[in-house]
Parts: sequence; structure tokens; C-alpha cells
Amino acid sequence: MRYADFTPYDIILLLQGLGVTLALFVGTTLIGLALGLALAVVHHYRIPGCRPVIVLVTEALKNSPVLVQLFLVFFGIPAFLHIRMTPVEAATLTISLNTAAFAFVVFRSGIESIDRDQIEAAQVFGLNRSQILRFVIAPQAAAFSVGPLIGILVNQLQVTSLISVIGVFDLTKIGNILNLRTLQPFIVWAVIGLIYYLAAKTLAHVGGCLEAALRKSVKWGGI
Amino acid sequence: MRFWRVIEPHLGFLLQGFALTIAACLLAIVGAVLLGAVTASMRSSGNTWVRGAANAYGDVFRNVPFLVQLFFFFYGLPELGIYIGAFETGVIAMSIAGGAFVSDVILSGIMTVDTGVIDAAKVSGLSRFKIFTRIVLPIALRVSVRPMGSVLINLVLTSSILSTITVNELTGTAKIVAATTFKPFEVYAVLLVLYASLTTLLSFVISATHHRLNRFMTGG
Repeated sequence: MRYADFTPYDIILLLQGLGVTLALFVGTTLIGLALGLALAVVHHYRIPGCRPVIVLVTEALKNSPVLVQLFLVFFGIPAFLHIRMTPVEAATLTISLNTAAFAFVVFRSGIESIDRDQIEAAQVFGLNRSQILRFVIAPQAAAFSVGPLIGILVNQLQVTSLISVIGVFDLTKIGNILNLRTLQPFIVWAVIGLIYYLAAKTLAHVGGCLEAALRKSVKWGGI
Repeated sequence: MRFWRVIEPHLGFLLQGFALTIAACLLAIVGAVLLGAVTASMRSSGNTWVRGAANAYGDVFRNVPFLVQLFFFFYGLPELGIYIGAFETGVIAMSIAGGAFVSDVILSGIMTVDTGVIDAAKVSGLSRFKIFTRIVLPIALRVSVRPMGSVLINLVLTSSILSTITVNELTGTAKIVAATTFKPFEVYAVLLVLYASLTTLLSFVISATHHRLNRFMTGG
């Protein structure tokens, strides 16, 4: 017995799922990049006691499965602190922190890629710390970081599929629903896979254009 | 030690899961290296079709989430009349996904081989097959240790996803322990630290192997 065939409404369902996935991806990317950048700046200024903590936490986040992190946040933290947490909140928190950990490493090496001589020269010219950060470090670090960051973001887009496991109705969850209803796994998962593939390719393409533009501006900006 | 009190009665069960994780990762890395080596040699071939097929494989499996790939195989294979266990499905999916990354690693390894070395081998009268297996691959594998290691570490992290298709590896057993003890925070916190230590340990081993294999390469 077949349960049901595909209906036109399934397209709306897929679009809804894609919407949730993309919204969560964009949200966590913005939070994650901002947090990663903040961590890198704190790390750069050697605020006492901060360095080992930042390194330890980001390494733990990078070296453990995202699924376990999701379970810890979604099941563990509410049980431990006796608070309520929706799947979306847990997913946002986890993926943001995860993105931040990866972004931190990229930003840190971006900052470290800048010659100390340049910073010393800027100090000699009388620029203060925030001016050095804004006019000397930031533009070069950005051009250096954007390539690796795009690779990370393409990866994080795929990582968002894991949030379906804790019950967020993203694209993968919609795939699960359609799969159970239609019992046509080949079609369902091929379509879901194709959507993810196209999203990843678009992201990589846009990122490539951005990278080219940034590199150009760094190369010729001063002349 | 509240963490130890929670974990201690279930230690044996968790170790079973850990053994399954290790088994899955070892089988998958073997599969991934075999598949990656074949794909890499296809990608360095002169035939456009062979190269295109290998590139497409790598491209697709790197840009689709592993969870989706896993569901594709887990629900799809029985539809084809192939009935294998969840563990085997997981290992196959991990091998295929890992193979896409390994092929990249090996291909860039092949690219680093000096063409002069290959010319010299040709002049010495070695067959093309011998040149590839005896000269190109050993050099390529030596420089590939570190990137290959990060693929292996990624596989360890990815293996936790097998718990979604009812494989009771480390994460799967931890889920059961968390459900029976009602102490999810303690269980998952320990699990996170455990995975992090395992992958950190692995990366040390990989570094050491890299240094050992490349000990003659310095100063050249």
C-alpha cells in the first residue's frame, strides 16, 4: 500500500524548510562572525587570563561533534539550570558558538599575518590602538580571512542539517516528513540534497566574488 | 565528582559504544582511502569523461550534508532490495563521503610530485603503472599525512551522526544513558570532553607521524 503521492503543496513545504535553514544559517553566521571577531580582538590584546580560556573553549568546540554539542545545549542545559529552551533557541546558540570557534581561528591568523613592523610604524606615526585596529589591521586581516571563512560557511551550511535531530523544522526535517509520507527515499533525499548543493554552490560563488573584490581593494586601495 | 557518579554504572555500556565508534572510523578510513585513491587517479587522468565523473563525485559529496547522504542510503538501499544493517550503511556512507575529501588530499599530493622525477622514471624504462604505484603514490602519500589526518578526525566527529540511524556507537549509547539516568548535562558534557580528547590525541599522533615520515625531507 502506498500512503500518498507528492502533492503541489510539498513545494511550499520544501520552501518553508529552506527558509528555516537559510534564516538560521544567516542568523548564526552573523552572531558567530561577530563573536569570533570579538574573541580574536580580545586574544590579540592579551587581556590577562582570557587567552587560555578562549583557546580551550574554541578547541573543544572545534574538536567535538556538533551533534553532541546540540544535545548538550538542548537536553543538558535545561535539565541542569532548570530553564526552558526551544529547539530553535538551542540550535541558534549551538551553531553560533560553533561558527564563532572556527571564525576565531581564521581571524586570529588573519591578525597574526600582519607584520609587527607595520603596527610599530603606525605607532610611530602616532595612531592610537583603535586607529591601528581599524586602518591597519582590519582591512588586511579581512582580505586574508575571507577565503577561509567562505570555506567554513559552506561547511556550516551543511552542519545546520543536524538541527533537524533536535526537532527544528528545517529542510532536512521536511525531507524526513516527506520520506515517511511518500516512502520514496530516492526522490526525496535527492531533491533535498540538490537544494543543499545549489545553496552551497551559490554561497561559494558569492563568496568568491566578494573575495576577489576585497583583494583588489587591498592591492590597489592605497595608490 | 558528580560527573563520575553519573557515568560510572554505565561505563561498560559506553565502552561498547566507543568500540563501535572506533570500528566504524577504522573501516570508513580504509574505505575512504581506497575510494579516494581511485578517484584521485581518475581525476589526474587524461580522459575528459573519467575526469568529469570523478570531479562530479567529489563535488556532490562535499556539498551535500552528511545527514542527507546518510538518510539517502539508509532509506534508499532497502528500496533497491539491498538489506544491510544500519552499521554497514553508516560505514558505507562515511567511506563515500570521506573518499571525496581524501581524493582532494591525494590529488594535491600527486600535484606536488616533481615532473622531473617522473621523467627520470620514464627514462629508466618503468611502466606507467609502476611509475604511479611505486614513485608517485609514495611521495604523494608522504606529504598527505597531515591533511589525511584532518579527514580522519573529521570522520571521527562525523561518526556521531550515525546515532541518527539507530547505530549505537558512542553518541548513541550516551543518548540511552542520558535517557535512563535523567542526567543529560553530565552525560553529554563528559561525552563532549571525551570526543575532544580523542581528536586532540589523534592530531598529536598525526603530527608525530608526519614528522617521522618526512624526517629525510628537511634541508632539501
